[in-house]
Amino acid sequence: MASILEVNSVSKKFGGVVALEEVTLSVPERGIVGLIGPNGSGKTTLFNVVTGFHVPDKGEVWFRNQGGMERIDGLNPNEVFARGIVRTFQVPRLFKNLTVLENLLVTPRNQLGERPLAALRRGWEREERELARRAIELLKRFDLLPYANTRVSELSAAHIKLVETVRGLMTPARLYLLDEPAAGVEAGVAHRLFSLVRELREREGLTFFIVEHRIEILTRYVDYLYVLHNGKLLAEGKPEEVISDPRVVEAYIGGG
Amino acid sequence: MIDVVGFLVSWLTLLGIYSILALTLNFESGVSGVTNFGKVLFYGVGAYTAAALTVYLVLILNGFDVGRTPPYSVEGIVALGQLAGQNPALNLALFALSLVLAFLAAGLLGYLLSYPILRVGPAFVGFTLLSSGELMRIFLQHFEPVGASKGLMSIPGPFAWVPEPRVRELAFLGVVLALLALTYVVMDRLVNSPLGRTLRAVREDEVAALCLGKHVPRLKATVLFIGSGFTGVAGALLAYYLTAVNPGMFVPAVTFNVWAMIILGGMGNLRGSLVGAVLLTLFDRLLTFLTPQLGITVISPDYVRWFSVGLLIVALLLLRPQGLLPEEPVRTPALEELEVALRGGGSG
Repeated sequence: MASILEVNSVSKKFGGVVALEEVTLSVPERGIVGLIGPNGSGKTTLFNVVTGFHVPDKGEVWFRNQGGMERIDGLNPNEVFARGIVRTFQVPRLFKNLTVLENLLVTPRNQLGERPLAALRRGWEREERELARRAIELLKRFDLLPYANTRVSELSAAHIKLVETVRGLMTPARLYLLDEPAAGVEAGVAHRLFSLVRELREREGLTFFIVEHRIEILTRYVDYLYVLHNGKLLAEGKPEEVISDPRVVEAYIGGG
Repeated sequence: MIDVVGFLVSWLTLLGIYSILALTLNFESGVSGVTNFGKVLFYGVGAYTAAALTVYLVLILNGFDVGRTPPYSVEGIVALGQLAGQNPALNLALFALSLVLAFLAAGLLGYLLSYPILRVGPAFVGFTLLSSGELMRIFLQHFEPVGASKGLMSIPGPFAWVPEPRVRELAFLGVVLALLALTYVVMDRLVNSPLGRTLRAVREDEVAALCLGKHVPRLKATVLFIGSGFTGVAGALLAYYLTAVNPGMFVPAVTFNVWAMIILGGMGNLRGSLVGAVLLTLFDRLLTFLTPQLGITVISPDYVRWFSVGLLIVALLLLRPQGLLPEEPVRTPALEELEVALRGGGSG
């Protein structure tokens, strides 16, 4: 299948530390691709490069647009977002003094009511109701509805994690980069989350690229798995093959 | 005998003007997170725009040569006093024009300033605006065409032609309250809309908002345009109310007085700003009245006021940082949808 995201020989250094070295990978359209690796292996740095937070020292990032592949490394985060890539963060970046519902509603871009004159004149209410219904649907699915009017600062860490992932699903993006969506979330909820990822892929044709430490959960849902180690691509392939690869086992157990 | 009506009229007029300042500051700083320590800059620009426009045009339209009889000269002030009540239509037209131009002048200044200041980082926005306000004041102190340190006097008000002072004051109060209502409706609509929600998100986390594709600099520029525009209108009202402007009216303490109002009332809550404005203007009045009564004659009421306002801000930030009326969720039809969903969930 054609790829939606291509990372070509990307390298990134921070001072003397090599965070990424010649990393090449691709995510197929409508794929669910996992990215694993020990702490400090460069997973989040790779996400940062793809989403415009870091400019790579070397290499290119390409994303499929309507017209074909477009080079996106060097774009600003909001420009990357505008092209249809949305990400969540390892340490959730929610708007703490906004309620859960507001955090979801604020996500979609270019809302009519975000324009000052339209906000004054009104007329944005219909769009707002539609967004609200979509948000409520998502909240229901994850038993978050009772918390809809709760400020995020009053939620538990697990709920915050969940809300951030759910918030990402509010936008009409085509590629979702999820950074440890299941961290600190109880297993049942994590499975429901990944089931939804699957369902969204089938129903909406969305693509997911997921960093996750809980490999036992992740491997049940992804079609393809990449392993990073010390900034380099260590292994790739079908999940069951990859996790039994002795080099991968060594990297995780050896910790080196 | 205390003149109760006179007290009420003058208090309500100043309250109206201060409420406009508090509402817009809350919109800028409480809701959107633009630390505006330079409120007085836009207030002053509005006041001077209205004052200068009115005195110059009244003299010119009445055939005076402002080169020889400038409005700040003794002859100019006398002439303005004589001309003030002669042409009601001119007074009203100049008033309306001044309000519009004060809005535009202050608003555009806010919009333009947003470009440099939003690039110095959030912590410095406040200081940059604070010092810009002081620069304006010092500039005005030395700028001869607007009277330098003496300022402009004898500004013909919109109702200067009304012979009865009480009627004149009441009419002006009506205008102030109408403009306050307009400001409130505009602020309320902006705050309780998807725009207001996005502005709060920007306040909470600029980087995350940027990631969601929000155009943070443009949003802040818009906020400063609208907020400063209405602040300019408040300044114009002040100029007409006092019929005089001078640089001493626009010291930084004015800004912090408004800050005390919104901190007391509750950051992010518009009704809170009105409550804060009521309480602090009343306190101010009381202080001016009581300071001599209590035998405090060594220092002027001004210093007592600045001291107590500073103390109040510190006490509030320590004891009740959310203010009297805390921020509420953004009011949009989404809340109705949620209520329906919650009720449906309860019964099923």
